[in-house]
Amino acid sequence: MKEIFQLPVFGVFITLAAFVVATQIKKKWNYILFNPVLLAINFIIIFLLVFNVNFEDYNNGGKFLSFFLGPAVVALGVFFYEKYAEVKQNLKPFLIAVTAGGVSGILSVVFILILFKVPDFIVQSLAAKSVTAPIAIEITKLVGGVPEITASIVIAVGIFGNAFGPLILRVLGIKNKIAIGTSLGTAAHAIGTARAFEEGKLPGVYSGLAMCLNGIITALLTPYILDLFLLF
Amino acid sequence: MVKALLYIFGFLIAGELIRYIFNIPIAGNIIGMLLIFIALRLKIIKLEDVKPASDKLIKYLALFFIPYGVGLMVYFNLIQPFWLPITVAVIVSSVITLYVTAIIMEKFGK
Repeated sequence: MKEIFQLPVFGVFITLAAFVVATQIKKKWNYILFNPVLLAINFIIIFLLVFNVNFEDYNNGGKFLSFFLGPAVVALGVFFYEKYAEVKQNLKPFLIAVTAGGVSGILSVVFILILFKVPDFIVQSLAAKSVTAPIAIEITKLVGGVPEITASIVIAVGIFGNAFGPLILRVLGIKNKIAIGTSLGTAAHAIGTARAFEEGKLPGVYSGLAMCLNGIITALLTPYILDLFLLF
Repeated sequence: MVKALLYIFGFLIAGELIRYIFNIPIAGNIIGMLLIFIALRLKIIKLEDVKPASDKLIKYLALFFIPYGVGLMVYFNLIQPFWLPITVAVIVSSVITLYVTAIIMEKFGK
């Protein structure tokens, strides 16, 4: 049986199967913790543990799917081009808001983790926690963190933003829907953007653009911010 | 579709090349993303040329990072002792990002 699990087709098959099942569950019961990615990951981990399959064996196939993260990031550039006309009238405040939010996000997570004296590899894996997984994974690889830790935390951050983002913002006195959309995309990437689209189409577009822009900002700055902090 | 994919992979490899040649600490795919945006803006390529592939890639973005999420099972024991600082840092930092972005946008946006 082990030979079967080592075949690339096994990893591809179980990932597609888990994703399809998870998507159906989300469709049937629209509950925030039923995020398809979160469910699919849990299904696969449970399967691998029950049948005693190594992650490396699973990833013989899994890596064929994760390979497409590279071109998917390039595709985000096309999305940005398509939608950016819609934020043109607000371009300056939008750029400033996303930059300020993104930078304060990197600084605060790095600062708090260092305050708690967690090992460097965790700081390096979490610095890019607010940006979309494909970009965050690339940043983590570059700064010497563990991409697998990043992927999970990024998903958790997205779910947190999706579930509690609008509530937190309203408690803090934010009423403007465009502001809510922009901040959801900046703090909680695509999963937050899904929530922004529930607030309206325009907040959704702002959120998607904020996600792309914060991805770029975080990719440009994280290596330097980490160099600065981890020096001491 | 094939032509659109060719463009996407073309920009991806251009990004990797630039990263390799100039030895900059930015991932090749992010440079590729910037390049394709600039190329579209300068009308070097047309939206219809790349849209068939880019729409599909974005649609299935979530599927592509599942294997990385599954990889957490290997590192779970490694980060488990630090669950509290990680949780605090992630929540506090996310709230800060949400608020800073939203308040600037609300004050200065139209």
